[in-house]
Amino acid sequence: MKLSVPMPVRLVLLVVGTTAFYMYLGQIVPQKEAHPPPPVLISAEMTTEDLVAVGAELASGKGQCLVGCHTVGQSGPLRYPDLDGIGARAATQIEGLSGLEYLAQSLYEPAAFIVPGFADGMQPIDQPPISLSEDEMKAVIAWLQSLGGTPTVTLDTDLGY
Amino acid sequence: MNRNRILFGIGVLAFVSVIVTVRLGGFLVDNEYRQPDRQVAAQEEQGETELTPRQQGIVDEQAADEAEARARPYEEAEYRTVPFVGSRVTVWVLAQLHLLFAAFVLAVPLFAFIIEFVGYVKKEERYNKLAYEFTKLLSVSFSMTATFGAFLTFGLIILYPKFTNYLMHIFSPTFLPYVLLFFLEALFLYSYYYGWGKFGPKMHLFLGFMLNIVGTAIMFIANAWLTFMMSPGRRDDVDGDGVPDFVSAVSESGALLSLRDAFFNFTWMPINIHRIIANVAFGGSIAAAYAAFRYLQAKTDEEKAHFDWMGYVGNFVAIIAFLPLPFAGYYLAAEIYAFSQTLGIQMMGGTFSWLFVIQAALIGNLFLGANYYLWLGMGRMEGGVHFQKFIKWLLIAIALCFAVWATPRYAISSVSEIAAMGGSSHPQLSYLGQMSAKNTAVNILILSTYMSFLLYRRTGRQSVHPHRQLLTRAQAIVFSSAAALVIFYGVYGYYVDAAIRIRFAIPQVYSVLAALVVITVIDLPLYRNAAQSGETKWGRMPAVSQYALIFIALSFTWLMGLMGYVRSGLRQEWHVYGVILDTSPDAYTPTLGFATQVVSVTVLIFFGLLGVVFWLSSLGGKKDWEPKAVADGGDRLEGGQAA
Repeated sequence: MKLSVPMPVRLVLLVVGTTAFYMYLGQIVPQKEAHPPPPVLISAEMTTEDLVAVGAELASGKGQCLVGCHTVGQSGPLRYPDLDGIGARAATQIEGLSGLEYLAQSLYEPAAFIVPGFADGMQPIDQPPISLSEDEMKAVIAWLQSLGGTPTVTLDTDLGY
Repeated sequence: MNRNRILFGIGVLAFVSVIVTVRLGGFLVDNEYRQPDRQVAAQEEQGETELTPRQQGIVDEQAADEAEARARPYEEAEYRTVPFVGSRVTVWVLAQLHLLFAAFVLAVPLFAFIIEFVGYVKKEERYNKLAYEFTKLLSVSFSMTATFGAFLTFGLIILYPKFTNYLMHIFSPTFLPYVLLFFLEALFLYSYYYGWGKFGPKMHLFLGFMLNIVGTAIMFIANAWLTFMMSPGRRDDVDGDGVPDFVSAVSESGALLSLRDAFFNFTWMPINIHRIIANVAFGGSIAAAYAAFRYLQAKTDEEKAHFDWMGYVGNFVAIIAFLPLPFAGYYLAAEIYAFSQTLGIQMMGGTFSWLFVIQAALIGNLFLGANYYLWLGMGRMEGGVHFQKFIKWLLIAIALCFAVWATPRYAISSVSEIAAMGGSSHPQLSYLGQMSAKNTAVNILILSTYMSFLLYRRTGRQSVHPHRQLLTRAQAIVFSSAAALVIFYGVYGYYVDAAIRIRFAIPQVYSVLAALVVITVIDLPLYRNAAQSGETKWGRMPAVSQYALIFIALSFTWLMGLMGYVRSGLRQEWHVYGVILDTSPDAYTPTLGFATQVVSVTVLIFFGLLGVVFWLSSLGGKKDWEPKAVADGGDRLEGGQAA
């Protein structure tokens, strides 16, 4: 005996079945809730070493530096320059600029100098949507200096911006 | 006893049951514990009334609530919550339902007008009839759009009062024009629909034209509101150094600096273009689903032929609009990147990157469904066997492209699998997950689908053009060249840096677009006045073809829901990107699994409502209810559905 499914039932099965299939696809991909970055506390008594640790936290959180933009210790076709060794080579990137001045300029005015082979695209990170405070900028610079170099930044350092 | 009497009896019984239940409840409440009757009577004589413990409790609670309300100072709420569902999901579902109906209401007049215009030029009544059939869907859908628009507005005002107030502060000058345009749209829509056959053709076409102009203007205004939230400003070369600068429409605290910059913001035009094309594709697919629904219900060959043709036209509209949609998507994505690299990277390489794997599955299914329908459509025509040998090759090409497009860069793997692969990406397959492979796959998908359409168009027809061989070869050369160029850039992309590779998408897109245009331009004269080798038999499609049309409409709807989520979700914890932070408990990006659940529920609600729209629209073709005389010789009349 041939079982005949009425047309309305077929339609409902098609709609519910297809929707369930697409919803299932959504369940099997990696699941991640993205929360706003937690606030980072910087106190006046923090040392340079403390700032390096805070800077590393900022780079992968609020600063969004390591979220798809820069890498540390990778090679091959990259979106933006790899940061490994930047603490050492910062002083030699632009003639007349010290390492600290170069790093400060690259955060406050990223379009002022584009590393050869890469495209313009980074936005000043003291402005929205990232909006790092001056102390947070110092922490990020301390972290950048620590990548292959010796961090020197303190909270009293004048970045010139 | 007939059915009507039974129904009437059930109704009366239900009514009486409700009355009895209410009275019984009242009786029980009024007769809870009291002092003995004699004492109550004595108290009433003295003007005193005793309260039961329960009544006293209620009075005390009311008094306490009132005292608390009087003591509480007025505070403006920033957010309000909806129990269980949450504010964000409530507004999300309402906005998506509003957008789905609005997209349909904006799209249908566009192609109804074009079909009517074709009928007017060709002097063929069947086009006029088809355009009217499409327009039948508008009336109820327009009401649904307005209803969900009102729900959404109230939802925003109630649940996000502070933020809604901020948007009103920015855009209040646009509200009056919006309302006036909405009024005009209602005027043109109903005069277009009810004026069918009542006005002369030119006047009626003018109404249709105005309906489209006004509808598009409404969408452009609403698009300014939502795109402002993503890109609150424009880019312009202010200092003349040749590099575009960001010109914010608002101050850092959110105060309006320029309404013009807020309105004509950075992503406004890309969204306008993307939405117009997407609306037409979506509207065509929903209209085709309606035709499929009617085809499956059809009793006569004439009805089947009519709705088969309608389904074909609806699907044709959907596919023609769908082919350039990825290009509009590229443009929108490129503009998002240009506005903010952070937003762009979040979209393609961050939180939302896996969403595009689901999108690939949806678009792959759309291409498969559309091609399958075209291939089945070859069965309508005599002489269709000639081209059917090409179908397997097209199917292989489409399936391969689908597989490449749906291949993720990083595999979902267990710890042992990651160890075996030497990382989270597969040593060989991960190459297919890169943009070079995906861009190549989608462009070849588009070319293959266009080839299916060309084969369908040639089925049962023989060109009589004097240079038909030369022109056909020219088409083949253009097609092959475009495919070769797309594949060349796809492979070459693996050997260059990312900054150069990303630019390869442009020649790939242009070569495919150019091929579509050139082949179409050649095809029109090539098959003008072509000899018919067989008759087209409308209404000869198998039922499965109609389910394919509904599947396409469903996939389109799901895709709209998913992409609506990513466009809005990109802002993450910002109400207005970079300006107004979301401080509500929902200020986080949910998992993809949760997002797809919300999209699924929205799609199911939409299709439920669409069923109501289809049913109401189909009533228009039925005969009027007529009383029928009972054959017992009396004067008694009994209702009957004549249809």
